[in-house]
Amino acid sequence: MGAALAGYLTFAVVLLGGWELTAQLGLVGRDLLPPLSEVCAILWRFLHDPRFISDLGLTAGEVAIAFLIAAPLAISTGFLLGERLHLAETFNPVVHFVLAVPQSIFLPVFILAFGIGFFEKVLFGITHAYFVILLNSFAAVRSIPRPLVAAARVFGATRAQIYTRIYLPAMLPLILTGLRLGMILCIIGVLLAEMYASRRGIGRLIFTWGEGYQVPELLAGIVLVSVLTITVNEAMRLAELHVSRFYARASTA
Amino acid sequence: MPIIEVSKLAKDFNAGRAVLRALADVSFSVEEGQFVTLVGPSGCGKSTLLQILAGLIAATSGQVLIEGKRISAPMPDKIGMVFQDPTLLPWKTALANVEFPLDLRGVDRALRRSRCSALLELVGLSEFADHYPHELSGGMRQRVAIARGLAQDPRLILMDEPFAALDEQTRTRMGHDLLDIWQKTGKTVFFITHSLTEAIYLSDVVLVMSPRPGRIIETIAIDFPRPRELDMIGSEAFGRIRNRIWHLIAEAQV
Repeated sequence: MGAALAGYLTFAVVLLGGWELTAQLGLVGRDLLPPLSEVCAILWRFLHDPRFISDLGLTAGEVAIAFLIAAPLAISTGFLLGERLHLAETFNPVVHFVLAVPQSIFLPVFILAFGIGFFEKVLFGITHAYFVILLNSFAAVRSIPRPLVAAARVFGATRAQIYTRIYLPAMLPLILTGLRLGMILCIIGVLLAEMYASRRGIGRLIFTWGEGYQVPELLAGIVLVSVLTITVNEAMRLAELHVSRFYARASTA
Repeated sequence: MPIIEVSKLAKDFNAGRAVLRALADVSFSVEEGQFVTLVGPSGCGKSTLLQILAGLIAATSGQVLIEGKRISAPMPDKIGMVFQDPTLLPWKTALANVEFPLDLRGVDRALRRSRCSALLELVGLSEFADHYPHELSGGMRQRVAIARGLAQDPRLILMDEPFAALDEQTRTRMGHDLLDIWQKTGKTVFFITHSLTEAIYLSDVVLVMSPRPGRIIETIAIDFPRPRELDMIGSEAFGRIRNRIWHLIAEAQV
């Protein structure tokens, strides 16, 4: 943990320090790379601007709703495929085909079918998150040691108890990995949809600033989104590490 | 009344289009309090038989009576089981693992605690109650599994090659300690192994099974006095019995 923290700090210092230094020394044109301090000042102003906050909130809301719909759907589909292998034989290739194709190329189709707006963006987030969560949920079911289930049955576990007392804890680490990857993809999906065609949202703002050559604002947006997504990812990764502590050598138990 | 009564038991598995006969016409009985071991070549259906006794899978024909009752599903209050893998829950401590069968039945926490602490003491692991399975050695994990098998206080314990994955010294020690536990608790033990030495050393009766499809080809009473000493393994009488079983299995195999 200490080593990881040192790594993060070194990375942050080198990246941000290098940025400020490069800009202050004029190594790169000021209009292409304004100093970090200036970008931070703009970011600070943004955070006190109700219009900016409402755009940010809209995007966050879209991501949250997409994720909350995709996650239970994907976990239960993965569970079903894991428990019914004849279904898995039919549908797993489909899932792999879908994952092989970059989903971004379907965005124009989504827009044609569902128009531009909240619904389309959420739907695009859902399809991004769904398949990777599904695959992890499927793998989680398959990873449950069968002898553990047999033992529980001998000791009188009911079907419900086998699901809650064996399946759930045994599946948790892989489910959490799936959820984390799904969250990353969900954010990508929503932001893509916003940048491609949207009236509001942080993705739209970033796209507009880029188009308008408003580099400080653009960088402020990038920094903010980066910090937020890293925070979400790290929080989920910590939960994952916490849970998988017991599973490191589970196979030998 | 025998605690286990198996008559004309057969089990077929579907292997693609073919039908695989794992067990054919298995009959035997085990008296209460006995230590009975089943030996046979690998793949002869020993584990299949044990799974039927445990109520995990159904027989194709014939019947199994446990305490005079026909078995069709697990009977946790009558039968405890120890598997080849310890099958402990990696996210629970040793004590919580022993408590698991009682926990499933909703036994009061305090009662559970005191009973299972005593069982951990019986298997010599009191100091390791709060350790997780991955922090224990292979032998210790199997001791926890034995304590768990005793948790619901069943009269019969089924053991499926419980020491097969352990090194020779640990294995000998575990066998010795198991006899101690057996004598203290007065349980009936039905034990599976492919080690003839282990079988003879531990048992009152050794059942010898033929290669697939498995049948009981001989029932051998072992009359060595108890408590048993490890020295007896080197004795001539011990060697004679081992040779006899060895020949039975070898002849059945050709």
